[in-house]
Amino acid sequence: MSKVVGKPLRRVDARAKVTGAAQYAADARVPGAAHGFLVMSTVARGRISRIDVRAAEAAPGVLAVLTHRTMPRLRTPPGEVPYFKSFVPLQDDRIHHAGQPVALVVAGTLEQAQEAATLVEVRYDSERPRAALLDALDEAYVPPDSHDEPSEYTRGDVAAGREQAEVTVDVTYTTVTQHHNPMEPSVTLAVWDGADLTVHESAQGIGFTRSTLAEALDVPPRNVRVLSPYLGGGFGGKGPVWPHTLLTAAAAREVGRPVKLVLSRAHTYSSTGHRAETHQRLALGARRDGRLTFAEHTTTEQVSRTEQSLHAANKATRLLYGIPNLRTVQRAVRLDLPTGSFMRSPEATTSHVLECALDELSCELGVDPVELRLRNDTRVDLVTGEPFGSRYLAECFRRGAELFGWDRRDPEPRSMRDEDGLVGWGVAAAAHTGGGFPGGAARVTLSEDGTALVQSGTQDIGTGTYTVMTQVSADGLGVPTDAVRFELGDTRFPGAPLSAGSATVPCTVPGVFAACATARDTVVGMAVRDPESPLHGRDPGRITVRDGRLFVTGDPGRYDTYRAVVRRHGEPVVVNSPPQDSFSGYSTGAVFAEVCVHPRLGTVRVRRVTGVFDPGTVLNHRTARSQAIGGAIWNIGFTLTEHTLIDAHAGRVVNPNLSGYLVPVNADVPRVEVEFIDKPDPTSPALNARGFGETPSTGVTAALANAVYHATGRRIRELPLTPDKLL
Amino acid sequence: MSEPSQHAAEDSGPGRRSVLKAGGVSAAAVMMPLAPGGAAHAAPGPSAAPRAAADIALRVNGETHRVAVEARVTLLDALRERLRLTGTKKGCDRGECGACTVLVDGRRVKSCLTLAVMQEDREITTVEGVARGERLHPVQEAFVARDAFQCGFCTPGQIMSAVACVEEGHTGSRDEIREWMSGNLCRCGCYPNIVDAVRDAAREVRR
Repeated sequence: MSKVVGKPLRRVDARAKVTGAAQYAADARVPGAAHGFLVMSTVARGRISRIDVRAAEAAPGVLAVLTHRTMPRLRTPPGEVPYFKSFVPLQDDRIHHAGQPVALVVAGTLEQAQEAATLVEVRYDSERPRAALLDALDEAYVPPDSHDEPSEYTRGDVAAGREQAEVTVDVTYTTVTQHHNPMEPSVTLAVWDGADLTVHESAQGIGFTRSTLAEALDVPPRNVRVLSPYLGGGFGGKGPVWPHTLLTAAAAREVGRPVKLVLSRAHTYSSTGHRAETHQRLALGARRDGRLTFAEHTTTEQVSRTEQSLHAANKATRLLYGIPNLRTVQRAVRLDLPTGSFMRSPEATTSHVLECALDELSCELGVDPVELRLRNDTRVDLVTGEPFGSRYLAECFRRGAELFGWDRRDPEPRSMRDEDGLVGWGVAAAAHTGGGFPGGAARVTLSEDGTALVQSGTQDIGTGTYTVMTQVSADGLGVPTDAVRFELGDTRFPGAPLSAGSATVPCTVPGVFAACATARDTVVGMAVRDPESPLHGRDPGRITVRDGRLFVTGDPGRYDTYRAVVRRHGEPVVVNSPPQDSFSGYSTGAVFAEVCVHPRLGTVRVRRVTGVFDPGTVLNHRTARSQAIGGAIWNIGFTLTEHTLIDAHAGRVVNPNLSGYLVPVNADVPRVEVEFIDKPDPTSPALNARGFGETPSTGVTAALANAVYHATGRRIRELPLTPDKLL
Repeated sequence: MSEPSQHAAEDSGPGRRSVLKAGGVSAAAVMMPLAPGGAAHAAPGPSAAPRAAADIALRVNGETHRVAVEARVTLLDALRERLRLTGTKKGCDRGECGACTVLVDGRRVKSCLTLAVMQEDREITTVEGVARGERLHPVQEAFVARDAFQCGFCTPGQIMSAVACVEEGHTGSRDEIREWMSGNLCRCGCYPNIVDAVRDAAREVRR
């Protein structure tokens, strides 16, 4: 039945994106919009002792300078809820981290707002902050379970597993603070019309943004509309609702004008979360044949003074291999830093350590690292005891090894040199949650011209939602893709969950397909009941719909069309899908990498990356391939260069910019080879596809680190792998 | 550690931008950390003076726009906020990301690093001016065909750089393209596809 799903359809929003016509949040045309600019705390801990806004208020064009004394009180939901931060600044004089807003300036032009922001004088009673995780490990504690993640998990008998182990590695790794740095900094453009609020927002979850705004500003949710038709990347940083969104909307109400606030690049380093620094200890044991007998993985992660949710879930350790005896613990250390959050593939942080430790174990055992993983493969989710919906991890390893030429690898470190330096080959598994949150819904409107408008309040963060949902809609309705227009990013559409956690496909596809299939059945029913239809009186169960035509299966010559049926009906046909259920999935893959390390400079060049992935059915090979390439590139930065440096004494980010925080550039990136197993997951309600976005940005970190070990014989357990560590 | 004070500064230290963007608020902000004793009570300086707007004519995509801008307004903010040409994007406002790349007299320029008043009598081309009516430029066509973007936010800058890269003849090899396209960051990670697109476009243009 499927005809368009699976095809490498070009992006339906491509033309808008290459001509500059795509309107991102900051591009919305709102007449009379004033500009907001934040003033940030320069200290990390203490209180504001004095704040003088007179010079700022007197500056040309200034409409308001709002501080903790003058900003209206905002409501926060009780307790900690996911995707919303309970701490809102400008509500009292306390400072919880450097880079916390202490004033919001609103002026007629951006230049005026930026100028006035420099004139706000702030004095603090400051205290010495604590900002380095490794200096505060003795303060670690086990916080309550966050989201669906247990802080502590045990299965089997870990002590017995230790006894059974003939070879054990017990290693400590660290990862550093990193920032999302989407190319589009976060934007809020708030427009009040009486009691109604419209917010143009760069949001990965427009529904959460709406409910949080309504709560904070004490207005009914129906009065709040959030629009996010295009998003300039998010990577998790635009998932939670952050304070600047609420402050901007409150300021707009205060000044009686629309207000646009675009975070400066520097401000994003303290305003939209980060991948928190971790310290991880992993003990792993196996019999001589490579069978794992136990693992014990303790992750300690930075949290802030105001929130304690953890994001570096030890999921891979629990799910990826058949480890019979296992204990995982997630600990937190409160520091005077901003609140961390999920960042593209939060599970990568811990799976990096698992996959590096397995490499260490393979060296100890003398078992090939691919073979070691194959020997510990499992078809059962050992947390639930249920089989995985489908799982082709072993196939990914075998195919990847073949593509990469793994059998030509000499396992001896420092054995594969060439004229450019020390060559190393490394391998690791990729793995990430790929399920969906509940609640995805959609609406179809069939017009008298035979076209369909399909709407869902989901998001396209660059992953291809517009395109994939167009394909799903076309197949659901039985029409060509050019007869479908798919719209998203508007809270007036039927709701859909957050675009995070690789969840957009599993959340949205079922609702979109259900709405379209119901619309198709509705139109078929209308046709067979209509005496004017060539299909009058036919059995609706025997009607096929293809290319916009309805006909009795096997007899395509005698047909009706969507256009004719809806015209005779006299008005558009509108169908809503009910909100869909959640789904749990786990998408895996195998990645292989080659590096070349300069023997005297310690510089690491990535020469090639090969990835083979199992996302269930591939809905669009073009967009999926691009996402997999992007994941590998993201991990090149993760492994080699990305490091938010924090001054341990001041608690301030030293490099809040893109010249000191190094994301990969074109010249850093080799060819990336990608293949998919492309076999359906029969348990998935999303046309047998699982969520997949984050899987390819796991594994590559460990494959690169393992390749660096293979090249140099040096096991660097602290990311990033900068030249100083390899000299 | 009592009573530190601040002049709120966007930037934590001197950047590349400070060299180029003399005058106006940014230079003041950049200088602040260097002032002794935290310049909390420093004289308001140039910022207190009323700023005269200059009436200038900007020639963008073949059309002349008369616009009144203060001297401190960057070309990027003039395009986006005054001329409503929002295709050109602001990613960092300090010349590091390339999202704001436009062509000035055929050369690539980061429009956040130059002032609008400096661009009179120049021919400015933005992403909105690359296509010929409905017909996309070969670079745009190649970006679509090669899926050389995901979120699309860096794309206007990538396309302007790619148009120039092809014109400059810096497309002899994949490595040459990678080098000459490295001033434009793409966080989604589309670089290999961008290189493919630039190669294709170069072949198409030379045909």
